[in-house]
Order: sequence, then structure tokens, then C-alpha cells
Amino acid sequence: MFLAPDGDEIEITNAAADFMANAMPIERLHAADSADMNAALRQSVAEMGWFALTLPEADGGSGLGPVEHALFFREVGRMSGPIDVLTQCLAAMVADDPQLRAALLAGERAVALAVPSGSETRLLGARDAGCALEVTQTGARLVSIAGAQTVERPALAPACSMRLLPHLPDAVLATATGAHVWQMGELGTAAMLLGIAEAALDLIVEYAKIRETFGRKIGAYQAVRHPCADMALRAETARCQLWYAAAALAEGREDAGTHLDAAKHLCNQAALMNTDADIQLHGGIGVTDEHNAHLLLKQAMLLGKLFGGKRALLGQLLTAQVQD
Amino acid sequence: MDLKYSDADREFRARARAWLAVNVPTAPRPAHGPASAQFDRDWQRKMYEHGWAGVAWPKEFGGLGLSGLQQVIWYEELGRARAPHYINTTYIALMHAGPTLIARGTQSQKSFHLQRILSGESLWCQGFSEPNAGSDLAALKTRGRVEDDVIVVNGSKMWTTDAMHADYQELLIRTDPGSERHKGLTWLICDMKLPGIDIKPIRTMLQDEHVNMVFYDEVRIPKANVVGEINGGWSTALSTLSFERGLGFIGDQLELYERVNRVIDLAGKTRLESGKLAIEDDGIAQKLASLKADALAIRAMTLAHITESDRTGQPGPQGSLMKLIVTATHKSLSETVGDIIGWDFLEFNGDRAAHPWTYDYLWSWVFTISGGTSEIQREITADRLLGLPRAR
Repeated sequence: MFLAPDGDEIEITNAAADFMANAMPIERLHAADSADMNAALRQSVAEMGWFALTLPEADGGSGLGPVEHALFFREVGRMSGPIDVLTQCLAAMVADDPQLRAALLAGERAVALAVPSGSETRLLGARDAGCALEVTQTGARLVSIAGAQTVERPALAPACSMRLLPHLPDAVLATATGAHVWQMGELGTAAMLLGIAEAALDLIVEYAKIRETFGRKIGAYQAVRHPCADMALRAETARCQLWYAAAALAEGREDAGTHLDAAKHLCNQAALMNTDADIQLHGGIGVTDEHNAHLLLKQAMLLGKLFGGKRALLGQLLTAQVQD
Repeated sequence: MDLKYSDADREFRARARAWLAVNVPTAPRPAHGPASAQFDRDWQRKMYEHGWAGVAWPKEFGGLGLSGLQQVIWYEELGRARAPHYINTTYIALMHAGPTLIARGTQSQKSFHLQRILSGESLWCQGFSEPNAGSDLAALKTRGRVEDDVIVVNGSKMWTTDAMHADYQELLIRTDPGSERHKGLTWLICDMKLPGIDIKPIRTMLQDEHVNMVFYDEVRIPKANVVGEINGGWSTALSTLSFERGLGFIGDQLELYERVNRVIDLAGKTRLESGKLAIEDDGIAQKLASLKADALAIRAMTLAHITESDRTGQPGPQGSLMKLIVTATHKSLSETVGDIIGWDFLEFNGDRAAHPWTYDYLWSWVFTISGGTSEIQREITADRLLGLPRAR
């Protein structure tokens, strides 16, 4: 038993961090029209094989599992990467037609994430997408949305566009049954939220070491130190549970879903509370548009609603049981 | 990353479970007085005689020489078997004094004390805090005058749990009269039967007297009882505290999940004043589910930290985070019980067996204050884990 990145897992983490820092640094979001992946960016993610990370080798993937999936998406989260990256990975898991799968893995076909929104459907990310992926706890379907009329909505989170569609077309391209796609979505969003919680902590710790008030570094005041310690605690708690859940999924344990629900809940909480504290402890500079603090908060608010929000997760956890 | 137990781990769990199933005492532990200490000694002796004491202690010091993970398995099985709670009068001996002597003691200190600790023959208490030195431990003033072969101690210690039952004390004093703060301290083994020691109980909000003040009047302690160096006691004390913050609450960490489930059961059969079941109240249900997630994460943290220290050979710097979350979760669970059981929560006469939930609630402050307050744990985290500028 070991519950931290180890061996090859450390290399994957480093490779993912390097890739994200070059391809999608969080600073990109200060420019106009920076939401989603554009075609060129999607192609560069595809060329590195990130969309195919957990697909079996026979299907053109790297044959890795939930642990590597979580490690990759934690780095995507740190840079407030668009939801498109995850949607594209999940869509490739659903596609059983080799040509369709190859086009998705190559980033030639873009996919938006479809989520219910009142009586309508909300499309997240991939503004140029010709298809949309809808995922539930018992299955998933990939549908063509070519020609569908969508209404652009102003998106709070700069990394991700939002559109409304009166109803999702029935032009089904592929379907999957079972919990796998949902669980990989839940794990991926939880990991992105962990990355956000950690990035918020890093931002304030760095600032507290240089910013001075009343003649001292603010990191010497307990009014700053103690909330930072609480942020570290929330990140550590969420991280340990996320690693446990990822390993439980990788090993096919029966209680993996419950550990995953606990992890998603703790990652939701850690990301929202840490990004909140990060802005507050920065003071005035924390609410400016030029700072990264609000980008992390807004992305956390979006991811916290996907693949398990607070109410649904807590409802499931109340009656769930785990093994040794 | 993996969650797999080795064959040896599984075999150890099966043997532990089988032994505990027939050997856990059936009589309840007396709540107070010498009978409670005798009960703890007897249970510890039984575990020792059957080869279950000191699971992760090295073999050369009488332990089983097993991994930290197997130690976790042992505590899980103790909890499952409803064995006597491990935080009892043997706690300081097994969790503080023993590990400190293994790390820093002389050969003769080890050979005299370790076997007595494991077998329940010696009970220990702690002598660190003073009336004016608690969180600020380095402000301590109890003096030790170094004479030929003895150190003569004068002063007082505070919050000493179970002092009246203890055979020995881990005593931290100032031996260099001109010294300040962390310098000039010495960690001593103090025999509690020495002349000049006077114990005065302190009554607490739990209506009990488990903590004490201890006064020292010309108490003569042999120099051979110094652990570490004379005037180098701070470093010995830090190793003592790192054991508590690392693994000292391991049993509670693992038991929390089961406790949350017990409260969920309670909420499923207790009616609120409105007439509806407590579990049907959204606020209570969400709180309990959230506590269950916390309890699962605490277990994951325990396993993450222990398997890491199995590799590195020492507890990591995350021990303070562990103490923070375990104690906060305990308190939050107790508060939720208060929301569930209503007026019953306000009935209390000091009897733990009769009023367990209220007792646990009152105990939650002992948990967040003793062994380094939550505020001190945040300071340690800010210094050592985050590297923030020093406040002090």
C-alpha cells in the first residue's frame, strides 16, 4: 500500500505540469476569447497523447488507469484548464467506431459537454463542437449537434464557454452503459478541483512571504498564517481521499464509488473555500481582474456543479458503506 | 499508488481478529480511581503475554518489529472488537515515553524501562506544561540544580493527566540557571515515588479529576535518568511530541468512521421535537454525510502518512494537520449529536457510561487543547509545511 505518486506516476505528473505550463498557462485567460481549446490547442493536446491516456492500447490509447487520469487532471486544474480536455477524453471512451474514436483522439472532432439545465440543455466548452457528450451515472451518449441552434450565454468562468440548447438532438453517434464514464468524469473534475485548491494555497503563500503591512511580512501575522494552515489542511484532506479513490477505482474495489463521492465532495469544498480565502487574504489586489485569484474561484464554481454537486454527493454518502 | 495489503498484512489481521474475538475483557472499565489503572495494566499485560504489545516497536526492544501499516491494522481490529480504549493510563508510557527512550535513551534506560512499559508494569505521566508555560512550552521555569550525581528539582507542573497512577514521569526542566527559551533544558525520567513530590488534582468541566498539578520540593533525581544531553532537552522533547502528533491519535483516526455510522443510526431512530426523524432533517443529514466524508479522508490520510513513514523511517511534517482535523471532526460530530437528541444532551452528572454523548462533547475541548492546541498546530503548519515568515 502506498498513497502518493510514485515512480512513473511522478514522471507523468511532471510531464503534465510542463505541458500545461507551456500549452495552457493560466495567464492565457487574461486575453480576450481565451475560453475553450481552439483547434490548434486541441491538436497539440492530442499529439502528446493526453486524450488517450486511459484508453486500452488496442484502441490507440496508452493503457493507463484512473490514477494517471487523476494525476493529469490535477495539473489541468492548476492552470484552470478548460472542461473540453476532460470531455474529449470521456468521448473517446464512449466511441466504439474506430474512425470516430481516431478523430476524437486526434482532436479533429471537438466535443461539448451537455448537462441538464431546467428544461433545456446547457453546452459547456468547445464552442466549435459538432457533437456533444451527455453523461449520467448509468451511461453516456455522444450525439451530433451539427446545425442545432444554440444561444450563447455569458460565462462566469473565463476558461469555459456556455451555450443553451432547447433540447439535445437524437442523432446518436455512440453510447456507453455502466458507471465507468461518469466515474472518470467525477474523478477528473475532482482532480481539477484539487489542483485549484493547491494553486490557490501556493498563490497566497508566495504573496504572504513578500507583501508587507505595518512593517512586517503579512505571513508573520496569525490572521494570515492560520487561514493558510486551514487551506493546507483542506488540500491535504482532499488529496489523500482523492488518491485513495483513484487507487480504489484502478483496483476495481466495490466501494470505489463511495470513496470517489467522498473525494469529489472534499475537492469541491477545498477548491471553493481555498479560492475564497485566497482572494480575501490578498486584500484589494485579490479582486482585480489582472490577478489569477478570481480565475481559480470561477473555475471551482463551475467544476463543483459537474459530476456530483454537494446535495447529490451528500445524499449518496449518507447511506453508503466501505470495506477495510 | 495502491491500496493492496500484502499476504503478511492479511494474515496479521486475521490472527489479530481471532485473538481479540475471545480475549477482549467483557467487564466494563472502572471510570475512575486505582481500579481503572489496574484494569488498564491487566489488559496491557494480557496483550503483552500473548505477543501483541508494541506492534511497530523494534524486536530488540521487545516489540513485534512490524510495519506502521500493521500497527494501523491492529488498531482497526481493536476498534472492531470494541476492546478497551487505547487512550487510558498506559497512553503516555506507550505513545510518548517508550518511543522517546527508543530514539534517545541510554542502553540501561532502554533495558530497564521498555519491557516494563510494554507489559503494563510501568505507567507514565507527562511533565511538560507549567502554570505559565503551556502553548509557549519554552517559557518553562521548573529548575534543576545539577549536583555531583543528582539533579535537584524545584517547581511545578500543570495538566498532568493520571499523575496519581503513574510510576514515572517524563519531566522537562531548566538545568542551566542563566538560560532562556529552548536552551538549557533537560528531559529527565522522574520516579513518582521520590520524596518531595506532591500531587494536587484539578477538577475539570467534565466533573472529573483526571488532570493534576505536580509540585517538586528538592526532589533528587539521579543524573543517570537524563534522556539525551543535560541542557539539550528541547531536542528530546521535540521527538516526544512528534510521536504524539504523528501517530498518537491513530486509534481515534480509525474509529471516527464507525462513530459517524453510530450517529447516523441514532438519527434514524430519534425524533426531533417537530415529530420527524432526525435523519429526515436536511441540515442534520447533510452534516452527517459530510462528517462521513471527513472520516473517510482521515482514514486515507492515516494510511497515506503511515505508509510514507514506513518508507522514510520517521513521522512526516503532516502530523499537525492530522491532529487539527481529527479533533475538529470529533467536536463537529458531538455538536451534531446535540442537534439530534435535544434535551437529553443537557443531562449530565459526570458519568461517562450514563451520558456518553455529552461526555464526548465536553471531552472535545480536551482534544483540541491538550497535546498542542489547534492554534499551535496551525503555527507549526505555517512554519514547517508552508515556510511562512516566523511570527515568534
